[in-house]
Amino acid sequence: MASYIIKRLLAMVPTLFGVAVLIFLLLRVVPGDVVEARYIGQGSQFQSQELMQLERKKLGLDQPLWRQFTSWMGGLLRLDFGLSMWTGAPIIEEIRLRFALSLQLAIMASTVATLLAIPLGILAAMKQDTWIDYAVRVFSIAGLAMPSFWLGILIILVMLIVFRWLPPMVFTPLWVNPWENLAQLIWPALAVGYRYSAVGTRMMRSAMLEVLREDYIRTARAKGLALKLILTRHALKNAILPVLTIISLEFAFLLGGLVVTEQVFNLNGLGMLFVEAIARRDYTLTQALVMLVATTFLLVNFVVDVAYAWIDPRIRYR
Amino acid sequence: MANMAKLLEVRGLRTSFATAAGLVRAVDGVSWDVHPGETVALVGESGCGKSVSALSVMRLIDPPAGRIEDGAILYKGQDLLSLSEQEMRQVRGREIGMVFQEPMTSLNPVVTIGRQLTEGLELHVKMDSAAARTRAIELLGMVGIPDGERRLSQYPHQFSGGMRQRMMIAMALACRPSLILADEPTTALDVTIQAQILELLRDLSRRFGVAMLIITHNLGVVARYADRVNVMYAGRIIERAAAAALYARPRHPYTLGLLRSVPRLDQPTRERLLPIEGQPPDLTRLPPGCAFAPRCAFRVARCDAEAPSLNEVDGAEHLAACWESSRLAGGARA
Repeated sequence: MASYIIKRLLAMVPTLFGVAVLIFLLLRVVPGDVVEARYIGQGSQFQSQELMQLERKKLGLDQPLWRQFTSWMGGLLRLDFGLSMWTGAPIIEEIRLRFALSLQLAIMASTVATLLAIPLGILAAMKQDTWIDYAVRVFSIAGLAMPSFWLGILIILVMLIVFRWLPPMVFTPLWVNPWENLAQLIWPALAVGYRYSAVGTRMMRSAMLEVLREDYIRTARAKGLALKLILTRHALKNAILPVLTIISLEFAFLLGGLVVTEQVFNLNGLGMLFVEAIARRDYTLTQALVMLVATTFLLVNFVVDVAYAWIDPRIRYR
Repeated sequence: MANMAKLLEVRGLRTSFATAAGLVRAVDGVSWDVHPGETVALVGESGCGKSVSALSVMRLIDPPAGRIEDGAILYKGQDLLSLSEQEMRQVRGREIGMVFQEPMTSLNPVVTIGRQLTEGLELHVKMDSAAARTRAIELLGMVGIPDGERRLSQYPHQFSGGMRQRMMIAMALACRPSLILADEPTTALDVTIQAQILELLRDLSRRFGVAMLIITHNLGVVARYADRVNVMYAGRIIERAAAAALYARPRHPYTLGLLRSVPRLDQPTRERLLPIEGQPPDLTRLPPGCAFAPRCAFRVARCDAEAPSLNEVDGAEHLAACWESSRLAGGARA
C-alpha cells in the first residue's frame, strides 16, 4: 500500500509540469498582454509605444519566453508565486482568503452532494420502479435542470422573507468565527451541492441495481443475512466506487468554476478572480490560479485513488 | 427408506417468471424429497428448472418477475412458504446451506474471506468474533485449505477457483445445517478439481450426516455420488429412481438419451455416442402433450395429446412419466 501511495504521488509531478507548460504557452498565445489591457481603457493608441515598452520591461515581458518560464518555475519551486502583474501585490496575498473560501465551499458542497447522492441513490435502487424511485429521480433531475445560481436566488429570497437574512457583505473565515462562517456558506453549499448530487444519485442508483444482481449478493442472502447487513457490508462497498469518482471530478470544477454562484451569494472566491485575471491578461496570477486548481484536483484524485485501493483490494495488488 | 421421516419434501411446486416473451413456468408442479443424510440428485439440461427448484426452496426467487405460484415446501414438517421473511432468514444458512455454481462470482470481491465465513456464525450461532474466527480456521482446515489464520485476511481474488469452491462449501457448512443444496458445484471448475470437490462434499456430508441435494447436468456425477436421482425436463420430473436402477434400467426415453450421449468407461463396446436430436423446448410455448415428444424416438399418437404423469414403473421407488415406458423395460438398447 505504501509503495502504491508513493507511486501515485510521484506521478503527479510530470502532470503538473505539463499543466505549467500548457498554461504558460496558452496565455501568451492569446492576443494582448497586461500592459495593453491596462491602457485600453485609457485609449492605448494614444499611449506612446516607448511608455508601453517600458512597462513591459518592468514586468519582465520583454524577456525571451524560456527565460520567463524558467524564472517562473524557479519561483514555484520555492513556493513563491511572485507578484500580480495587474496590482503588483504578492499573489499569495491576493489568493489566500479567496482560496480558503473556495476550498471550503467546494468541500461543503461536495459533502452535501455526497450526503444526498448516496442515501437517495440506495433508496431509489431498493424501491426500484415504485413512487419512491420516481420521486427521487424527479428530485435529482430537477436539481440538474435548475441552475444553482437560480436556486441560490430562491434561497436568498426565502431567507430574506422568512428570517430577514441577507448574505453578509464581508466574508468571515472559518478560523475567525466558525459559526458565522458556516452560517454564511451553508446556503451556497446547499444550492451547489444539490445540483451536483444529481449525477451522483443516478450513478449510485444504477451501480446499486447492478451490484444487487451479482451472484455474491445471492450468496449473502442464502446465508440468511438481513437486508440491512447485505446492503452495508456487501453491496455498498462495491457500488460506491463510481460515485466517488463522479464527486471527486465535480470537486475540481467547484473550486474554480462557481463564478455566478459567488456573485449571487456575494462571495469573493476564486471563480471571479479567475475571470478577472484572464480578462486583464494577468499572466502571473492566472498561472498561479491554474497551478493551484490543478494541484488541488490532482490531490483530490490521489485521495480517491487511495480510497479505491482501500475499498477494492484487487486494485492494490495489480 | 420410505418409512423414514422426510427432511425436505417439495410438493407440487410451481415457480414461474414473467418475461417479455410471456409467462415461463420454470418449475411446473414438481414433487421430490430428501431424507436425512442422503444425497439426492436433480439432473437435466440447462433451463430445465433444476436451479430454480433449489432457489425456490431457499425462497430466493426474486419478485416481481419470479413467483412461487403453488405448492408446499416442507422442511422438517414446516412449510417454508408460510414463513415470514424474517423466519425464513433463520432457515437460510442455519438449517439449509447452499453452494453455488460460480465460485468466481459468488464470493464478494471486496470482503475478506474471514468476514464472509464468520458473518453467518455470528448471526446464527451467536458466536463472538474470536470464537467465530477460531471456527472459521477450523472450517477452512476441514475443506482442505491449510494455513487458515493467514487465509482469513485474504480476499477471494487471491484464491484459485477450486479453493473458492472449497470456501463456499466451508461457508455452507459453517452453522452445521441439516441440508446442503449444491447447485452445479463443479460446473465452472477444471475436470481434475471437479472430482476433488465432489469427494470433499461427499466426505463432509457423511462425516456430519448432512443431507445433500446435488444439482447437475453431469450423469457421471450422479452415478458416483447420489443415492437417488430425479431427472427433470422442461420444468417437470420425468423419472425418479435409485441411482443404480436408473443406470441399469432407464424407463424414460429422455433418460435413455442422456445415458447414451455420455461416454462410459464401464462398457468396453466402442459404440458411437448418440446425441439427443433437436433442441430443448421453448418454455413459453409448450406442446399440450409430453414436452419431450418432438424429440422422442418412442413417440406415439397419444404423446402429442396428453401429458403423462409420474407413475410407478418398477416398484414404489422407480417412477417415470412416459406412456411407452413399458417398451423400455426390457433394457431397450436400440
